[in-house]
Amino acid sequence: MITVKHKTKEAIVGYVFSLPIIITVIVFTIYPIIAAFYYSVTDYQPLEARKFTYTFNPYESLEFNTGILREEAKDYPLDQMIQSFDPVTFVEIDVGVNLSDEDKESIRKNFDSLNLLSDYRDGKLPTEIKISDFLMKYMKSDGERFAKYRPKFVGLENFKQMFKDMYFYTSLSNAFLYSIVVVPIQTLLAIILAVAANSKIRGKNFFKSIFFLPAVTSSAALSMIFWLIYSKPGILNQVLMSLFGRFGFQPIDYLNEPGIALFAIMLMNIWSTAGYFMITFLAGLQDIPSSIYEAAMIDGATGWQTFWKITMPLLRPQIVFVSIMGTIGCMQVFDQIYFLIKNLRNITISFYIYKNAFEYGKMGYASALAVVLFAIILALSLIQRKVVKEEY
Amino acid sequence: MKKVFSTILLVLLTVGLFAATKVTISGWPGNPVEEGAIKQAVDTFNSTIGKQKGIEVVWEPIAGDYKQMLMTKLSGGTGPDIFYVDVYVFEELARANVLLPLDTYIKRDGYDISDFYPTLVNAFKYQGRTYGLPKDFSTLALVFNKAVFDKYKVPYLTNNETWDSLLKKLQQLKAAGLDTPMVLAADFNRVIPTIISYGGRLTKPDLSTALGEPNAKKAIQFYVDLVTKYKVANEPSALGAGWIGEALATGKAAVGMEGPWLIGFTKESYPETFKNLGFVEMPKGIKKSTMIYTVSWSINRGTPNKDAAWEVVKFLTSDGQKIFVDGAGVLASRRSLAAKDTDPIKQVFYKGAEYGTPWKVPTKTGLFATANDQINSLLADLFHSKITVDQAVQTIEANYNTWISK
Repeated sequence: MITVKHKTKEAIVGYVFSLPIIITVIVFTIYPIIAAFYYSVTDYQPLEARKFTYTFNPYESLEFNTGILREEAKDYPLDQMIQSFDPVTFVEIDVGVNLSDEDKESIRKNFDSLNLLSDYRDGKLPTEIKISDFLMKYMKSDGERFAKYRPKFVGLENFKQMFKDMYFYTSLSNAFLYSIVVVPIQTLLAIILAVAANSKIRGKNFFKSIFFLPAVTSSAALSMIFWLIYSKPGILNQVLMSLFGRFGFQPIDYLNEPGIALFAIMLMNIWSTAGYFMITFLAGLQDIPSSIYEAAMIDGATGWQTFWKITMPLLRPQIVFVSIMGTIGCMQVFDQIYFLIKNLRNITISFYIYKNAFEYGKMGYASALAVVLFAIILALSLIQRKVVKEEY
Repeated sequence: MKKVFSTILLVLLTVGLFAATKVTISGWPGNPVEEGAIKQAVDTFNSTIGKQKGIEVVWEPIAGDYKQMLMTKLSGGTGPDIFYVDVYVFEELARANVLLPLDTYIKRDGYDISDFYPTLVNAFKYQGRTYGLPKDFSTLALVFNKAVFDKYKVPYLTNNETWDSLLKKLQQLKAAGLDTPMVLAADFNRVIPTIISYGGRLTKPDLSTALGEPNAKKAIQFYVDLVTKYKVANEPSALGAGWIGEALATGKAAVGMEGPWLIGFTKESYPETFKNLGFVEMPKGIKKSTMIYTVSWSINRGTPNKDAAWEVVKFLTSDGQKIFVDGAGVLASRRSLAAKDTDPIKQVFYKGAEYGTPWKVPTKTGLFATANDQINSLLADLFHSKITVDQAVQTIEANYNTWISK
């Protein structure tokens, strides 16, 4: 019997216990990240992924291609048939597979037309066969290339394409603008809300719940509510009309006016996330010893001074955390844009990634965009950590 | 993992051998009336042909972004057996070889497709092969609210309206006190009838864009001018409506170019307004023009039950279509059924089939989705006077090749 060391045994048991989460993380987090990096240097097209797995009837395809019915084929001389037979057109059009230039070259060189046509004449073909099996059978060599769809390696082509894509610039600068406006305001607002909720006012639990409510509401529902608020005959315009109508205020179509739409979304997002980050600051505030405030009071500090000189500096770790999380969230903002924005001029980068991947079928390009977004967010987070040093 | 799946599949197949072959059909969910018609068609099939041949049809609509969902499902190999293909995305799917060519089946069964409107059958052909049969179709017509015209004492719109006479009547309405008489969408496909009636075209023979040609530019200019210069029209959202039909039904606009899908909606939800609606042919320019929207029933190339699926498609495009036309009020793609459809309101829409253009922009790559989004964005900019038509057309011409590339 092999004696396993106690330590090894313990490690094995540990890994076995954490196996479910290890597998989940590998399958749903690590693998997709690696796959995105891989696809970003290919021209991966989702619709092509299954092209070799379809089945077809070789007789039908050959009838289409040669114009000779299967019953009559044996009456035709083989060399006459082969003269007018082009394997590339046959595979591409009559079998129905999109081929790359290399694929075509390989078929031109290695396809065994003679074998196929004589099998056709002898009636030795199956009536139903998988495209990959068929090609592997009738290629003299290099049949392996058709066993499975492999996206073409294009190197940095996808990244080069971005420089020429005006909506890459638009969507990326929109995401930056969005973050620059939203992160500071939402952080500051969250601190103010937290300080207010932490003070000894009446009904503070009520306020806490109210502020936190948007964070637990689905963004789809919020978007619908804001669609109603922002629409031209909506409530916001009605309020503004009754206040400023006599000064010549005209109702605005907030979500369709290209210059305003993004700011309308920003406002909505600040409102809905400030409450969420308030919770972080509340936790931070509870950690500040009350003795410091008491000492400040004895020294005669005003409320304003206490806030700027004591509360803010001591909330530093939370501010770092919230601003980093906020930046990541803002750079990736998707759902509100997806629900409310129609004009491409106002979209953000993550929505553009979605469009490319799932609507335009350009998964390779979308992955490249995602890699760029990843790099930007990583860089921003590192810079933030350097600028606002964590002190413990 | 693969083994587990194949075992499950095997079990299902063995069970399936004794039960009926299941064929899933899929599309976008319609309004309750349309859903009712499709369920009735499915039930009819299951209790007649399905029972004889051992086929069971299941209707599984895809809610939300239909095209995205369908493409993802097809890529993953979990697509439905039969599904709607909008003529607008047809070529993209046909080129990707994910649809089953139907020619062999049509020939084998001697299925007569000469009864369908040829425009509609040809819309689902690619490189000489048929990849779907038209489920039904729609065209655009000019819809107006007679009560509003009565109120402002402006003569009704007629079947012989030109763009200029339409503008004149809209201006009369505006002068009489109606702020925005017309609702107009910033959607490229809604501008196409104007472009074509002005003598313009969408693509040159080499499939590059022809939107920069003088006639097309003039048409786009007129369309945009209705909003920006004459201020007689605006977008649905600017009027507080989600779409053109809603703006007309709720009385937020008196004139709009819309398809027959507004009939069922208005009849159901705003019966009072519906009584006042008038339907006439689209305005003319140099020639008549309208848009044809059509959807096909196409078969998934990866389906394991090709023959069963074909049986279902045959039913859906024959007896099934009769159920849709009677139940859901769609326009029949079969001329024999269209001739029997005597609903007076629908006649003006049927007329459009004679001279309309299917909603489809041919490109070298078969891709148009990106270009469509970009052009729509430019139209939105035009409606808000952010750019001029010249600038928009320049942008289109400069970027068209990038937009349609793979």
